[in-house]
Amino acid sequence: MDEAQRQQALLRALSGAGIDAAGLREHGARAARGLEAYRANAEEIADRALAAAFATVRAMVGPDDFKRLARGFWHAHPPRRGDLGEWGDTFPDWLHAHAGLAAWPYLADCARLDLALHRSERATDATLDAASLALLESTDPVRLHLQLVPGTALLRSAWPVVGIHRAHQLEGVAADQAFAAVRAAIAAQLGDDALVVREGWRAVAHPLTDIEARWTHSLLTGANLDAALAAAGTPFDFSAWLQTAIRRQWLKGVVAADD
Amino acid sequence: MNDTCVGIGLRQPHYAELLNAPPPLGFVEVHSENFFADGGAALAVLHRAREHYPVSLHGVGLALGSAAGLDPWHLDRLARLVDGIEPVRVSDHACFARAALPGGVVHANDLLPIAFTDASLALMVRHVTQVQERLGRAMLVENLSSYVSFTDAAMSEPEFFAQLCRRSGCGMLLDVNNLMVNALNAGASDPVASCCAFVDALPTGIVGEIHVAGYCETGDVVIDDHGSRVRPEVWAVCAHALRRHGSVPVLVEWDTDVPALDVLLGEAAHAAGMHG
Repeated sequence: MDEAQRQQALLRALSGAGIDAAGLREHGARAARGLEAYRANAEEIADRALAAAFATVRAMVGPDDFKRLARGFWHAHPPRRGDLGEWGDTFPDWLHAHAGLAAWPYLADCARLDLALHRSERATDATLDAASLALLESTDPVRLHLQLVPGTALLRSAWPVVGIHRAHQLEGVAADQAFAAVRAAIAAQLGDDALVVREGWRAVAHPLTDIEARWTHSLLTGANLDAALAAAGTPFDFSAWLQTAIRRQWLKGVVAADD
Repeated sequence: MNDTCVGIGLRQPHYAELLNAPPPLGFVEVHSENFFADGGAALAVLHRAREHYPVSLHGVGLALGSAAGLDPWHLDRLARLVDGIEPVRVSDHACFARAALPGGVVHANDLLPIAFTDASLALMVRHVTQVQERLGRAMLVENLSSYVSFTDAAMSEPEFFAQLCRRSGCGMLLDVNNLMVNALNAGASDPVASCCAFVDALPTGIVGEIHVAGYCETGDVVIDDHGSRVRPEVWAVCAHALRRHGSVPVLVEWDTDVPALDVLLGEAAHAAGMHG
């Protein structure tokens, strides 16, 4: 048996296939105990890795069911890299397709919001290039592009995902009120457009109006300032947005396209 | 040995306490993969820690013994981290984790055992050399605690490490807790003697760092869980290893159920006191 075959056989044995092909020195109960030690560790790290990225989903389904989901996902979509912080991109889609979760139609979008927050907190650090703001006074908006900090994302959902996310971070009466609002929003089929953006070290989700969502989409897809303003339409208040973006550290800078 | 030779793991529960009033330590250790992100708070903490301590980058994911080869992405991320942190040591394990299965290459994210065969040794030498050439520096490779092993074996584990170090130019990271876990799981009649025999079988001059940690007995199997104090018998093997291999740095590992910092510093003080 060559090394590739040996290693493939051990991985298959850890996934539940027979152990005979792995060429193990241990047999019977002793081999089973050894393999079980590795399986238990895999379940633990799957749970820990996904819990770090999908905190809202875990809070929604509870830690025991989340651990079962993590185990299922581990076998269905095993990690491809040695950094588990990179694992889980397909978890929202997997949840969406999970037959046992049909009663939670908003769970997958909640996972997408969790994932966007997770990615944002791992994105390249950036600070505002304050000097670049002078371009707003001196340059034709057709040539200007506003750059948001790395990791910024727009999530558009038919469900009130920002409300759900925030409600799970509250306790007591505040949580009760937030969950009541979420239930009402679900009943009324009110979705959220969410801005996910780093503010310092933490990624935050903000609900957006339709106008703000169009504006944000334009910026994130590379539209110039003139086109982004046109897409947002009236009554978008650019000055107010700019003040907020600077104060909350959303903006990386302004760049002028070459002629 | 003194406290300049002893380090502890830099773990999230201790970030603020350790960095606000840095205690005297020889170095801090982190798992490299936890800092592979492009940015974020954890990486910033590591850079702050680097202002106070030498940092040992200890990897758990290179999968140096994988027949599927090294992941270029992983090596790129490690190289970037090494460039940014300028660690005092870089290490990983003599294990495999990557394997080509139907659907693509899978990374098990575990320290899975390799066979001590000529083919496995050749793989390890090739991959360690690849890493060292990319990083421009020598690395240390750690022995595993393993819960299964393979019938195919052309050499003993100490001989495997001796040849690996000689042929690749790497050093060995000797984890004496792993020796103890393996001895206990093998049913050794005198586990300390078994571990010391392993230590004695290693050539002098190859050990660049020693790891100590706690383990747990589950009844069926002893698990290397890094979740408790170092056992007296592990300290005994550590002392033996220091006598044979010199006053190399010692890391106290504690990764699960992480205790108060004072407890960990107490373990570090014990290590520091072993040679007065």
